[in-house]
Amino acid sequence: MPLERSPPKPARPKPPVEWAPYLFLAPYIVLSAAFFVVPFFSAAVLAFYETNGPRTRVFVGFANFRFLLHDPMFYTALANTTAFACASVLLQLPLSMGLALLLNTTEGRLKGFFRLILFSPNLVGQIFVGILFSVLFAPRYGLINRTFQALFHWGLEERWLGNPRLVMPAIIVTSLWVWVGFNMVYFLAALQGVDKTLEEAARIDGANVWQVFWHVTLPSIRHVVVFVVITTIIGSYQLFELPLALLNSSSGRGPANSGLTLITYLNELAFESGDLGLGSALGWMVAIIIFAVSIVQIRISRVLED
Amino acid sequence: MLDRFPYGKAPLCLLVIAIVASALRVLAVSNRPKRADLVFVTLSAYHYEAYQKPIREFERSRGISVRLQFANATSLQSRLQNAMLAGTEIPDMAELVENSLSFFARGPRKDIGLLDLTDRLHESGLDKRLVSSRLSLWTSGGRTYAFPHDVHPVMLAYRRDLVEQLGIDVTQLDTWAKFVDAGRRVTRDVDGDGTIDRYMIDLSYDGSWSLDALLLQRGVQLFDDAGKVAFDNEVTVDVIRWLLRQSFGPEKIAYDPDASGSSGQSLMKAMTDGLVLFVWTPDWRSRVFQDDAPHLAGKMALMPLPAWEPGGRRTSVWGGTGLVIAKKTKHPDWAWDLANFLYYDPKEIGARFARTNIVPVLEDAWVLPELDVPNPYYSNQPIGRMYADLAPSTPPRRLTPLSFVAEQKLYEAYARSLEYYRRSGEDGLAGAIRGELARAQEYVNLRAERVAALAGAQ
Repeated sequence: MPLERSPPKPARPKPPVEWAPYLFLAPYIVLSAAFFVVPFFSAAVLAFYETNGPRTRVFVGFANFRFLLHDPMFYTALANTTAFACASVLLQLPLSMGLALLLNTTEGRLKGFFRLILFSPNLVGQIFVGILFSVLFAPRYGLINRTFQALFHWGLEERWLGNPRLVMPAIIVTSLWVWVGFNMVYFLAALQGVDKTLEEAARIDGANVWQVFWHVTLPSIRHVVVFVVITTIIGSYQLFELPLALLNSSSGRGPANSGLTLITYLNELAFESGDLGLGSALGWMVAIIIFAVSIVQIRISRVLED
Repeated sequence: MLDRFPYGKAPLCLLVIAIVASALRVLAVSNRPKRADLVFVTLSAYHYEAYQKPIREFERSRGISVRLQFANATSLQSRLQNAMLAGTEIPDMAELVENSLSFFARGPRKDIGLLDLTDRLHESGLDKRLVSSRLSLWTSGGRTYAFPHDVHPVMLAYRRDLVEQLGIDVTQLDTWAKFVDAGRRVTRDVDGDGTIDRYMIDLSYDGSWSLDALLLQRGVQLFDDAGKVAFDNEVTVDVIRWLLRQSFGPEKIAYDPDASGSSGQSLMKAMTDGLVLFVWTPDWRSRVFQDDAPHLAGKMALMPLPAWEPGGRRTSVWGGTGLVIAKKTKHPDWAWDLANFLYYDPKEIGARFARTNIVPVLEDAWVLPELDVPNPYYSNQPIGRMYADLAPSTPPRRLTPLSFVAEQKLYEAYARSLEYYRRSGEDGLAGAIRGELARAQEYVNLRAERVAALAGAQ
C-alpha cells in the first residue's frame, strides 16, 4: 500500500508580540524591587550603622552584630524560636499527616466538608486567633481551664499566659489550631497523587499498614514533605503576630521573656526602642539562621533519599 | 477572540484584571477629597465621640476644615513611626499614649518630627496652669512635645454592697498594712470546694501595671534626674516583695482575673461574681466599668488608695494621653489653637468629663460644677471631685529614650523573682530580687551606652 504523505501540520502561529511575558512579569518585578530588594539592601547597610532617631546614624562596623552575640535576650529569643520550630515539625506535621491520611480514606462530600473545617482556622488572621486564645486560656473563666477542671479536677487557676513554663506550650497549642489544617491540605493533595497500584501491590505482598505508609506512600510524597518541613521551619523562625496578640500585655514577650521570639525582639529593638541598626543586624542574623537551617534540612532529605 | 490572545485565556484575564484595578486606583486617587486644613487622629473611641461637636464649632468659628480620624493606639503609633521614618505624609495632630514619646523624641533635636511646644507653653502661661507632674510625661531632654490630656489619678473601685456586708469600713483602710490585714480576713474559699472564691483586690499577675503604679506611689522612678537608670534600690525590692506576697504568698489577698488586658471580660465577670472586691481604678477605667458592667450600678463605690505609710500619698497614676503637633504641619497656629480649645476650654472640659469621667489636667478647671455631680453608678459619690482632689499629688514620670526598655526589664526581673519565690519562698528572697534588678539594670545600661556612644560620635 503506497504510503500517503500526510498533509503538512499547520505551524503554530508565533506569538506576535515578544514583550508580553515581560509585561506580565513587570508587576512582580516592580513590587519585589520596591518591597523586597530595596529594603533587603537597605537593611544590609543599616546593620553596620548605629542609629539615633530617624535621620542620624554613625558607621560602627560589626558592633551591632557583636552586641547581639553578647546579648542574653538574643539567645533567649533564639532558644524560644528554635523550641517552637522543633515543636512545629515534631507535633504539627505528624498531626497534619495523620489528618490527611484519615481524610484520604474518606470519600465524597464528607472529605470536602472536613477539609474545609480543618483548613478554616487558617482563614482568620493570627491576631484574631491570638486574641481568641487569650480569652480561652483565661484562668478560672477560660474554656480551656474549665474543660481541664471538669475532666481532671485540675487546671482551673492555671496561668497559661502568665507562667513562664506554660507560655511556649500555649503558643504551640494555638499555632496547632491555625496550621495543622493548612499543612494537611498539602499532604492530602500529595496523597491523592500516590499510585494506588503500588500500595495495593505492597499489601498483596503482605505489607502491613505502617509498612505501606513508610515504604510506599511516604517516599512517593517525599518532595511535598520536604517542602512543607522547610516552609514550616522558615515560618516558625518568623513567628511574630501570634505571641504578640496572645501576650499582648507584655508586648509579646511573656513573663521572663518566655514567649520572646527572634522577630518579636527585632520589633522591640527597631520599632519600640528605635534602634534601627541593631534591628537590621538581628534581621540579617535571622535570615542567616533560616538559610543555614534550610540547607541542613535539604542535605538531610537528600541523604535520606539516597 | 479569547483564543486568539497569544498566551491563552488565563493571561488575558490577568491582563484585564490588572487594567481594571489600575483604572479603579487612578479613579480613586483623582476623586479623593481635598486634604482638610488640619488632620487630627485620636486614639480613643470616647475622645472621637467627644471631639465631634467642638471640632464642628471650631471649624465654623475659624472658617477652616478639620478632619478627625480614629485609630487604635498601637496602630496609630506604628503608622506614625513608620511615616516619620519614611518621610511620608503624617497627620497635623495626633494623640499618643504614655511612653510613646520615648521613640519619637530619639536623636538630635533637629531630627525630632514633633513641634517643640516648650516656648509656646511658657509664653502662654499654660505650663503653670497644668498639673506639673503630667508635663514630665511629655518632656524629653528638657523640651515638651505634647499637650497633656489628663492626670489619671488612681483610686480603688469596690463592690460597696459586698464590702459593707463583710463589715469592712473603708475609711479605716488608709494604709496598705491595714488593707492587707482586712484582706486576709475576707479572702476565703466561701463554698468550700478547695478554690478561693473571694479575694480582696485585683493586682496584675505579671507585675506590669501594678508594679508601675505601686512604685510610682512610693516615689520610685525608673530613671534619676540625670537620666540614668535607677530602679535597682531597696524600695523597689520592698515593693516587689510586697507584691509577690499579696499575689502568691500563703496569705495572699490578690488575684488577677484578666488574661490579656486592663478591662477585659474576665475582670467584669470577676467583679460581678464578687471574686475581687477592690479593683485598681484610674479615672478612665471608672468609665469603662460603667459601660461594660452596667448591672453593677449603685453597688460600686470609690476610695483613695491606701498609703504606704500613715499620711502618705493616697494615689498613683496609670495611663496618659498627649496631643502632638507635627513639625511639618502647614498650620502650626491653627493646630495650637485647636489643641487648646479641645483640651483646655472650660466648656469643653466639663462636657467631656461628663462623657469620659476623665479629670482635666488644667488646674483651673477643677472648679467646674460637672465634677461635683453625684455619679449613681458609684453610689452617688461625686467622683470627679474625688479624683480632682487626688490629682495634685499624682507622682511624675520621667521619660528617656530607654523608658520602654527599662520598663520591660523591670517586669522581667519581677517574673524571675516570682520564679524564685515559688521555688524557695521567703529564704533569700530580698537578695534574689536585688540580683534580678541588678541584672536588668545592667542590660539597660548596656543599651544606654550605645545611645551615649552615638551622641559622643556626632
